Amino acid sequence: MATEKPVTEQYQADAFSRRKDDLLVIHDLHTHFFTPDGVVRALDGVDLRLKKGTTLGLVGESGCGKTVLALSILRLIQDPPGRIVKGSIIFEGTDLLGLDEQEIRKIRGNKISMIFQEPMTSLNPVFTIGAQIAEVILLHQRHRASTKGQAMDMAVEMLKMVGISSPARRINDYPHQLSGGMCQRVMIAMALACRPSLMIADEPTTALDVTTQAQILCLMKDLKDEIDTSILLVTHDLGVVAQSCQEVAVMYTGNVVEYALVEDIFALPLHPYTKGLMRAIPRIGARQEGKTLHAIAGNVPTVRDMPKGCTFHNRCPEVMDICRTEYPPVFRPKADHVVRCWRYVN
Amino acid sequence: MENLLQVRGLRKSFAIRSGIFRKTTGHVQAVDGVDLDVHPNETLGLVGESGCGKTTLAKIILALERPDSGSVVFDGTDIHSARGQALEHVRRGIQVIFQDPFGSLNPRKKVASIIAEPMIIHKVGSKAQRYDRSAELLKLVGLSTDMLGRYPHEFSGGQRQRICIARAMAVNPRLLVCDEPVSALDVSIQAQVINLLVELQAELKLSYIFISHDLSVVGYISHRIAVMYRGQIVELADAQELFDNPLHPYTRCLMDAVPEPVPGKIAAAAHVRGDEDSVLFPARGCAFGSSCPYREEPCTREKPVLAEALHGHYVACHQHIPPDEQA
Ligand SMILES: Nc1ncnc2c1ncn2[C@@H]1O[C@H](COP(=O)(O)OP(=O)(O)OP(=O)(O)O)[C@@H](O)[C@H]1O
Ligand SMILES: Nc1ncnc2c1ncn2[C@@H]1O[C@H](COP(=O)(O)OP(=O)(O)OP(=O)(O)O)[C@@H](O)[C@H]1O
Ligand SMILES: [Mg+2]
Ligand SMILES: [Mg+2]
Repeated sequence: MATEKPVTEQYQADAFSRRKDDLLVIHDLHTHFFTPDGVVRALDGVDLRLKKGTTLGLVGESGCGKTVLALSILRLIQDPPGRIVKGSIIFEGTDLLGLDEQEIRKIRGNKISMIFQEPMTSLNPVFTIGAQIAEVILLHQRHRASTKGQAMDMAVEMLKMVGISSPARRINDYPHQLSGGMCQRVMIAMALACRPSLMIADEPTTALDVTTQAQILCLMKDLKDEIDTSILLVTHDLGVVAQSCQEVAVMYTGNVVEYALVEDIFALPLHPYTKGLMRAIPRIGARQEGKTLHAIAGNVPTVRDMPKGCTFHNRCPEVMDICRTEYPPVFRPKADHVVRCWRYVN
Repeated sequence: MENLLQVRGLRKSFAIRSGIFRKTTGHVQAVDGVDLDVHPNETLGLVGESGCGKTTLAKIILALERPDSGSVVFDGTDIHSARGQALEHVRRGIQVIFQDPFGSLNPRKKVASIIAEPMIIHKVGSKAQRYDRSAELLKLVGLSTDMLGRYPHEFSGGQRQRICIARAMAVNPRLLVCDEPVSALDVSIQAQVINLLVELQAELKLSYIFISHDLSVVGYISHRIAVMYRGQIVELADAQELFDNPLHPYTRCLMDAVPEPVPGKIAAAAHVRGDEDSVLFPARGCAFGSSCPYREEPCTREKPVLAEALHGHYVACHQHIPPDEQA
């Protein structure tokens, strides 16, 4: 990709001046991985805004860069091989990319907390879950619990909140003694304990059954209502998005290709990729009627076969000539709805 | 119909320890008397709340965990007493895809050797043949073959799950136990993987035990569905029948909590969590007990057993007395 991506003036202005209540503004973020096989442009010019007290759903194909985006915000990208090469992440007015290690550490877990995608590997196997939650509380919530005993009591309270029965006993368990969903809830408890102003939740309910999921989503909503937390909710479950998000960003190969209010994206998805996602939702009993699920043809391109022009063009049912050669800029067919697709050129 | 897998009376409990001396202070009854059959070429869905024992049940079926009591018979062989050739036959015949795609891939191995692992364990093919087969399998699950030389950490969660599927298929199993195989995947890849599993089933006459919390996925892929609650199967029926006519109150709670892809439509955040300690000290009656809106006197006294309430539709609930016992 030799040509610089055109970014419409309009969108730029939109991203930076219009909304005063933005908590997080990400602009032109590039995070790359330098591997022996070549450079993986995991994030390739991401623009994103998150309002105070809003839940933004981040959806997109596996491998499109959702986790890398989440980790970039917290500056947790492992270097080497990864590096944030360009862009800005303005959080409460400061560019997180300009902070030194000590300053960013103060923000992590305090103002921004994260629920990781793989709870089993994010919990420390040699400490009990109680000790791990208590540690977080002592580290970030000194004013609410100053002794180990108080922190442990709070930990029990937190476990109860996320629906783990017999929390006072469970607190002595090690991660391997818990089920997948229970580990995930421990992670959620730790993130909630920090009462952050931004919570990044990477697939927080993936390992949970629907009833527990409903309960967790409810908890996150309560936190949002109570202390005006903004939530960046990474998920692939469009049902969850419909229920708990106000805004949605759809990602594809390292970029946001559509961004809209939740009602709009369900009522009238614009990007052909988003349309494909909507059609792929399984319906109960459809197999018995002999229907295969609608899947978007082809695969996510890899570094080596990244197509020229729009990176979706070789899978796109609505492809046009220009898509094969020119990377699409951002268009704004209507207020609060942006899309990176040549179909909407005027 | 001949059963490929027959599970009878399985029980498994874990000790809970506390304090600095790690004294045993109680037990979790993870699997509490489970009977199940899996037919050839069938998908049996298994759903239930987090922590209800699905993975433990799967592990026992895979002989990774010994039950306290009960038996698992695969293709005529009792898997927990099998030795030598018979055990090898079972081990090859049942493969697994686990819930956590990262934990189940060795970070120090390249994709090619990860996929070849079961072939090495079961001594299948030459090195070159195994490599070719790995390439073929990778394509089968929709990844490109130039990924063979990479390490797991270079892949996203979803990509790793597809590697797991490729690995599971390597030795042509007859039964694939899938523990949340698509919950880490976005809908479009999920659709690809499910279509792939359906295709493989038609082609190779495979059976699946498909564990998932996503009812629409389970409802799509399964022929029959078992609903599990606190270690027990509380309802079992054909997929469509279960959705059309859920009998157990817990099953109804599950159905109500499914988030529909319709903005503004809020699913009921069902409160199905029961008494504080009922997992650890199961009461005498129904495990769903205090969460149940229809609870009546017999429910607190007696544990309901799974019985056929309608043709081919089993439920463990005092509300649904089998027709032949109705006066
Ligand atoms: N350490 C790394 N080295 C090389 N490439 C990496 C590394 N980490 C991530 N990538 C690549 O970056 C891209 C984005 O990965 P990421 O984990 O963000 O995907 P994701 O959108 O979270 O997917 P999923 O839904 O499957 O979790 C992928 O193509 C992945 O292969
Ligand atoms: N090794 C172990 N030691 C102690 N307790 C265990 C162990 N393995 C599982 N358990 C307990 O057994 C119960 C069932 O766990 P299991 O992993 O089977 O649940 P699950 O249905 O798979 O849940 P999920 O949907 O969250 O994965 C849980 O209460 C768990 O804490
Ligand atoms: Mg991810
Ligand atoms: Mg499990």
